[in-house]
Amino acid sequence: MFRTALKTILARKLRLVTTSFAVLLGVAFMSGAFVLTDTVGRSFNGLFDDIFKNTDAMVRSSQKLKTQGGDQRPRIDAAILDQVKRADGVAAAEGFVQGYAQIVGKDGKAIGNPGQGAPTFGTNWVEDTKLNSFNLSSGRAPQTPDEVVIDKGSATKGKLNVGDQTTVLAAAGAIPVKIVGIAKFGTADSPLGATFAMFTTPRAQEVVAESGKYDSIGVRGKSGTSQESVRDSVQKVLPAATEVVTGKAVTKENQNDIKKGLKFFSIFLLVFAGIAVFVGAFIIYNTFSIIVAQRGREMALMRAIGASRRQVLGAVLIEAAVVGVVAGALGLFAGIGVAIGLKALLAAFGIDIPAGGAVILARTVIASLIVGVVVSVASAFFPARRASKIAPIAAMRSLAHDSSGRSIARVITGILVTGLGIASLANGLFGHKGNKLGQAGIGVLVVFLGVTILGPIFAARLSGIIGAPLPRLRGMPGTLARENAIRNPKRTSSTAAALMIGVGLVGFIAIFAASTKASVNQSLDRAFTGDYVINVNTGGFGGLSPQLAASLKKVPEVAVVASGRFTPVEMSGTNAVLALDETTWGKIVDMKVQSGKLTDLSTPDTIGVYKDEAKKKNLKIGDTIPVTFLKSGKQPLKVVAIFGNKDLTFGNYVIGLPTYDKNMQEKFDQLLYIKKVPAVSAETARAVIEKATAAYPLAELKDNAEYKQSVAKQIDQFINLVYALLALAVIIALFGIANTLALSIFERTNELGLLRAVGMTRRQVRTMVRWESVIIALLGTFLGLVIGLFFGWALVQALKSEGINVLKIPVVTLAMVTVIAGIAGVLAAVFPARRAAKLDVLQAIAST
Amino acid sequence: MSTPAMQPTDTQRGPGAIAARAVNVVKTYGEGDTRVVALDNVSVSFPSGQFTAIMGPSGSGKSTLMHCIAGLDNVTAGQVLIGDVDLTTLKDRALTTLRRDRIGFIFQQFNLVPTLTALENITLPSALGGRKPDEEWLAMVIKTVGLGDRLKHRPSELSGGQQQRVAVARALAGQPDIIFADEPTGNLDSHAGAEILAFMRRAVAELGQTIVMVTHDPVAASYAGRVLFLNDGKIVDEMIAPTPERVLDRIKTLEA
Repeated sequence: MFRTALKTILARKLRLVTTSFAVLLGVAFMSGAFVLTDTVGRSFNGLFDDIFKNTDAMVRSSQKLKTQGGDQRPRIDAAILDQVKRADGVAAAEGFVQGYAQIVGKDGKAIGNPGQGAPTFGTNWVEDTKLNSFNLSSGRAPQTPDEVVIDKGSATKGKLNVGDQTTVLAAAGAIPVKIVGIAKFGTADSPLGATFAMFTTPRAQEVVAESGKYDSIGVRGKSGTSQESVRDSVQKVLPAATEVVTGKAVTKENQNDIKKGLKFFSIFLLVFAGIAVFVGAFIIYNTFSIIVAQRGREMALMRAIGASRRQVLGAVLIEAAVVGVVAGALGLFAGIGVAIGLKALLAAFGIDIPAGGAVILARTVIASLIVGVVVSVASAFFPARRASKIAPIAAMRSLAHDSSGRSIARVITGILVTGLGIASLANGLFGHKGNKLGQAGIGVLVVFLGVTILGPIFAARLSGIIGAPLPRLRGMPGTLARENAIRNPKRTSSTAAALMIGVGLVGFIAIFAASTKASVNQSLDRAFTGDYVINVNTGGFGGLSPQLAASLKKVPEVAVVASGRFTPVEMSGTNAVLALDETTWGKIVDMKVQSGKLTDLSTPDTIGVYKDEAKKKNLKIGDTIPVTFLKSGKQPLKVVAIFGNKDLTFGNYVIGLPTYDKNMQEKFDQLLYIKKVPAVSAETARAVIEKATAAYPLAELKDNAEYKQSVAKQIDQFINLVYALLALAVIIALFGIANTLALSIFERTNELGLLRAVGMTRRQVRTMVRWESVIIALLGTFLGLVIGLFFGWALVQALKSEGINVLKIPVVTLAMVTVIAGIAGVLAAVFPARRAAKLDVLQAIAST
Repeated sequence: MSTPAMQPTDTQRGPGAIAARAVNVVKTYGEGDTRVVALDNVSVSFPSGQFTAIMGPSGSGKSTLMHCIAGLDNVTAGQVLIGDVDLTTLKDRALTTLRRDRIGFIFQQFNLVPTLTALENITLPSALGGRKPDEEWLAMVIKTVGLGDRLKHRPSELSGGQQQRVAVARALAGQPDIIFADEPTGNLDSHAGAEILAFMRRAVAELGQTIVMVTHDPVAASYAGRVLFLNDGKIVDEMIAPTPERVLDRIKTLEA
């Protein structure tokens, strides 16, 4: 039986290839995601190994704030350094200062973008050559406050040389500097694309951090002492609220943080790989269903001459397993190419990730093969079981037409499965327990499955409606195309279902994006009474010096300047609050304060709460909430205001700048709202404001409309990335359509021969196949859009409390999706149509 | 799609006109040692308004001859004419439209498109040409083959005999120059087969159609006005007003 199965496969190599391809693409995506994240991971591991190569111990604050990017710690007193230096076994110790800084290149633009790529650092130049990860490649170390050493990568990108004057943007504002040296990171120009401006220690403390403070102290032990003994001896001299860890431990910590970050990234990519594999499974199921139907007589013959049911089942499953192994193995290697492609794709969307040579872990190999085989065999199981149930007597009968698929059992199963999916989705979106994202995701997949099960019930009628204009548009070939799409509802609907998934997700994302944009616009319209917005997207790292806000306040043409800062905190219900300029915010944003006063936020350690949240937590004016800050740790904040509009507060809580300044060490504005003096013309106001922001390249002035546009653009950028990643699922579905058509054409050889004999031209044959394909594609698109609409609606309902409160259906986008799907249908039909047209009439008539 | 130049003219259709002709047709398969001669310099004419049967043992080349004259297969040498159009000069597209507009086909099986109703099958060639069939003629054809109440049915809802009647009606509906039938009763029981043959004979006698039928059944051949006998790729004999017995006798001598 095994040999028979293998022979069958080899006899139809082409089909093996096309069938394998459906799974192969999904596996390649998965393997590519693994390869890419593993490669990035190894690059970072190497980076931290290098950074801490000569560090035996690290002294730092024992206080920490958990954030998404890892733990953040407050700075420590610089005086600790002298004590550490005197500890036993210490050969050298250096204080490290690190903060946000961006170097301005020759063209006046800031180098790098910490919001989307590698971070941009301002640090101190460390004197101890072994503790300093950089080594000068030209010039010298900084000696005066206006001197800096920059990394070679930045020097090249910014076209900067030793001796050049330029500017460094930092917390203290725009700092004029002279480049006195260029340094390499080991042998690399820069560590994974990060940029470095390295000042003298006191200057670095002053401009990027805090005078008299270090972020950490690096310790090098005397030769022959272990890291542990250095740590233990340093531990003895440390004051309270500080700790010391070995170099190995701190390396591991950093590597683990990156690993966690990469896990999100890898899950993000794997979700799309999963979608592709899921679609691929549909194709396998479909292909095997058709093959089994076509080979029914052959299988019945096998049964008649004595093959057992198990043997028939086994033969089909073996064929599926071979498809899976081929798909898994080829997919694994294709994954290396996909990894390169993904990296390029992400780079095209502004997300630059560092990666060295491709890393292929055993896990990637095993996962690729297992997914390939399991998906193929599992998808082929039901068709195989159907094959094994063929009665031996069927060998003597001609093949009946497949008119099944409209049974009551199917209706009930379909509705049950769809209902289960919706329930899981609802639980994920609106529930409070467990992995909400996972539940919603599984719900989405199960809904797709349910609709696929229900598909055959309405596929014929829908195809008929979609194809209704065809007889008029394309005459007899159009009529036949329509009839062919209708004749086998099960086949048509499961082929369309594969496309439905991709289109459904695209439609869903499109609706979500449109709704988000509309909601942002509505928020602005409702709450914003100003004229201009300056916002910087530096990914929570750095921002605008508060000096800019201060200087704008002095401009006579400007009536109101209100700044905002995103503040990472630990508290129940959120991990960030907005710090706002309590003196001016109320004049430019309508927060509908219901009780208390926004200006009361001027007292340190106070907080404002959104009305619903206050109700939920039963908070009143005068109550206190514990909030943990980076610098000051856990603090009780007194509620002084309850507000009724959170359109522009980015969450349920706000604090004033005095609270911020008391509890945080970095002082950056990420947001400036500006209102001009009414009498001043827009042109004049803009000119004077732009003059004030000239020294801050990060500060881009936008009026209301420009700001809306920039938000839309940001959303679009992300959405386009998602579209690009979903494209694979759509492409796989197109292979599915092509595959089904090819198999159908094979099955209809006699019919095609007859049509050709009685006068159907080759062109008409192609037309017929093409339009059948278009009908299938449009059926899938229609189902997808309906489901996508439902998902979009559900998500918008779920995110109401997050500020997405407008459901917007992007009609133009969805119409475009439909047109593209139609064109894709035409493309999918190219090869099957050509094959059908080239059929030899005589052979087609003669073959039985 | 319609090509007026190829529409039949009265001179081609009238009594005594030649509907189709093969002139020195040679058909070979393979090369060198494996070369097989299927048709060996065959010349034959099919006058309009005649019912001709082609008989011969298996491998005699009777089906090949029909395929070549019907424009389904190309010839190695010689000429094939439908009316005065030389098929050997036509490309696929022109050949296809010629088959559609001027030739009718009845095959042994797979005669009908399963997704179309009986009526749609009957009018399929004209629909492919984007034309409306001649209503009066169509009504007469349908009446002749007796399908009035079955027109809305799909082939799967028809018996084998009914299916073949639909096929005959389709072949007749376009008023072709000539109809080729390849073992049209091969899959039918004798009763249904006799019915079909009777229809075909009436089509010739009453509707003035021209039919060429390939068969190995002496009874079927006896419905024709003329029988051609093929052997080893050559026409070896011809019989006018055949009876089953005479045909059988002749075939026996060929197979001997």
